[in-house]
Amino acid sequence: MLKHLSAAGVVSVVSMAVATPALAQDGDPLVAGVEAAFPPWAYVEDGAYKGIAIDAMRAIAEDQGLTVEFKDLPWPSLIPALAKGRIDLLVTGLNVTEARAKVLDFSIPWWENDDEVLVAADSDHNVVTALCCGATVGAQGGATQYEWLQANLVDRDVDVTLRAYEDYITAVEDLGTGRLDAVVTSTDTAEELIDKGRPIRIVGTIQQNQPQALAVQEGDPKGLLAQLNAGIVNISESGQWAEIVKTYSPQASIRPIPTTMPDYVDSYQTPIPGYTP
Amino acid sequence: MIWQTLYDNLPFLMHGTWVALQLLAALLALGLVLGLTLALGQVYGPWPARLGGWAFERVFRGVPAVVLLLLFYYGVTDFVALSSFLAAVLALGLRSAAYQSQIFRGAIQSVPAGQMQAARAIGMGRWQAIRTIVLPQAARHAIGPWTNEFSSELKATSLAYVIGVVELTRQAKYIVSNTQGNILIVFGVVALIYFIVNRLGNAVLYRVEARLAVPGFERRSP
Repeated sequence: MLKHLSAAGVVSVVSMAVATPALAQDGDPLVAGVEAAFPPWAYVEDGAYKGIAIDAMRAIAEDQGLTVEFKDLPWPSLIPALAKGRIDLLVTGLNVTEARAKVLDFSIPWWENDDEVLVAADSDHNVVTALCCGATVGAQGGATQYEWLQANLVDRDVDVTLRAYEDYITAVEDLGTGRLDAVVTSTDTAEELIDKGRPIRIVGTIQQNQPQALAVQEGDPKGLLAQLNAGIVNISESGQWAEIVKTYSPQASIRPIPTTMPDYVDSYQTPIPGYTP
Repeated sequence: MIWQTLYDNLPFLMHGTWVALQLLAALLALGLVLGLTLALGQVYGPWPARLGGWAFERVFRGVPAVVLLLLFYYGVTDFVALSSFLAAVLALGLRSAAYQSQIFRGAIQSVPAGQMQAARAIGMGRWQAIRTIVLPQAARHAIGPWTNEFSSELKATSLAYVIGVVELTRQAKYIVSNTQGNILIVFGVVALIYFIVNRLGNAVLYRVEARLAVPGFERRSP
């Protein structure tokens, strides 16, 4: 299936969506859920899956002798699909959070993000006025940025109006029309948006050290974590990881793997399968 | 630049359209067979068939399409393994069956009751009268309202992406996310594609309707 992917773009993307997965030589391939509208992590270009998470997952699969195929689902569907076992693992820019740690198991974190405060390029907001004093602020609903704004500004009676968007693209569009004063996104998303020429600028960074990881079903019923963790360590040590990240996000700073491992994640309690510090 | 991107992506938009059309054909076919069966049951059947048809129609007309899609993809698949596409065909097809059952029920009841009595009076069986007298007329009356069902189900296929069917709307979303914007232009083009497909489908159905109109019945003005 992997070979088909790179070779015949249209056919593979559609056949994966439509047909039931074809059998690989060594049993059923693992189905990796992605939100393929989330560059630079996962997206579809010219009919083929691309992105940091896609290429890294392929490298991990090759390293560990796994067969993986990708399944595109919209972001709000991914965690339920994993919980229900419709996909075997979740491969995207997934933030490690306490609430999510209760319903799924995380691999060791391979990325770390901060949040950026974005305003329109021609706006005269600064980092303070963008997040107070009657400002209207947008973030992706259900995302960690939204929850942070809710807990740290709205719940603390800071005078802002918080708006949830299905995706950050529409939120940034609303910056342009003046319906929003500021949008808060993760660092890699902000850099991607600016790289693609959106008329926005960063006025401030909220340091979060927010780790990102792959995820499997709670309790890891298919016993994938050991191989995923070992694969992540291997592609990091071989330099493949740095190469993949540089391909898609040349300006990104690569932090050592594993990045911050919060205490509340049960799959980070030693011994961690497939990983020895 | 976005126009160039759109041009380059046209094959994928066309493929998305093709997936949408396959979904549309499958769900309309399921809805047609089941809807006609339910309608016959509701008009001629014994009380359990009437009650069952009524309940089915109320439930499937009363639940939003997106909720049905999610229920079938996440709920039903606990018991039966279904691909995203099949789950979408079932969810939207059963919903369409509910709507189509009412189109067919109305069409059957628009055939004057006297015709049934006349058919029975000349010695036809009930089923034979339905098959040879009532249904051929009812089917022709149904084409007009069915055109509307075609249009609304074509548009409903655009919801199937929520359970992972990569149809036209999802392909458009790929372009929007790759270019990090251009929402208006991309979805404007997609709207045009839906409009054209809808218009073409309707044109065919109008032709068929005019061609097969029951003589003496009022006709749609051109």
